[in-house]
Amino acid sequence: MRLILYLCILGIGILIGYNELGIDKLKRQLLKIQNISLLFLLFVMGIRIGADKKVITSFAELGYQAIVISSFSILFSIILVKFVRGFVTKGNDKEEMKNEC
Amino acid sequence: MSVSIIISVLLGIGFGYVILPEYILQYTDVIIDIGLCVLLFFVGIDIGTNKDIFNQIKKMGLKILLIPIMIIIGSIVGSIIAGVILDLPINESGAIGAGFGWYTLSAMILASESTKLSALAFITNVVREIIALVSIPFIAKYIGDIESIAPAGATAMDTSLPVISKSTNAKTSIISFITGVILSTAVPILVPFILNVLD
Repeated sequence: MRLILYLCILGIGILIGYNELGIDKLKRQLLKIQNISLLFLLFVMGIRIGADKKVITSFAELGYQAIVISSFSILFSIILVKFVRGFVTKGNDKEEMKNEC
Repeated sequence: MSVSIIISVLLGIGFGYVILPEYILQYTDVIIDIGLCVLLFFVGIDIGTNKDIFNQIKKMGLKILLIPIMIIIGSIVGSIIAGVILDLPINESGAIGAGFGWYTLSAMILASESTKLSALAFITNVVREIIALVSIPFIAKYIGDIESIAPAGATAMDTSLPVISKSTNAKTSIISFITGVILSTAVPILVPFILNVLD
């Protein structure tokens, strides 16, 4: 249910952005609102973290877990990209060589 | 911007730890839910305004999409394996990996699930961005140009793009931007999806 709601909101945003419905005039203000709401939300998220004593006491453990998870994510991404890179760049390289000739 | 982000979170933590009366805490759920919807709306606008992306994909061929697809699979599989090693539930570690370095949005989506999970998503994706910024020049030099996009994840279209551009070439920068847009679109879809499906 939540996912559908997120998708709808994202879709509406994409449509408005794609069709530039009044976006140009409001661009600067939109960016301001976006930044302020993001910072406010992060402040609220921080409040929840600060109020949860369990999270505060396990910060070192969270840091360790974060390093392990992010390192594995990066490592596997690199391996899989390496796996397909030959196929992805093959035609483009040929085309580039043609253009250079 | 990233300094203000860290300051906002730290101020919030201090406020919650020292001052906050318990009764305000119950309203934070609603605030985060509404705020997340506002944020997603703006994310949508950002993605929608990048019209040229479709032409660029057409020009380079659909096979270019294999790069973001491999980064999606690699990030999620890698984080699930890390989750198994750390004895974390695989749906939670997978959802954190599906943040692809976008620490603000992934942490916010997971905030309604659990504070600890949200904090872990935030720190993990901050760490991913830091590792990306430091490692991209080395990966570009010793492994390959295209591979240097992989650690950046969703940040390949903004914060990591200048580093990728400096360490590689114009073509890789375009692929990086396309990859970043696709991964950014995938974050709000995949984080809740993986959290629920792998549960």
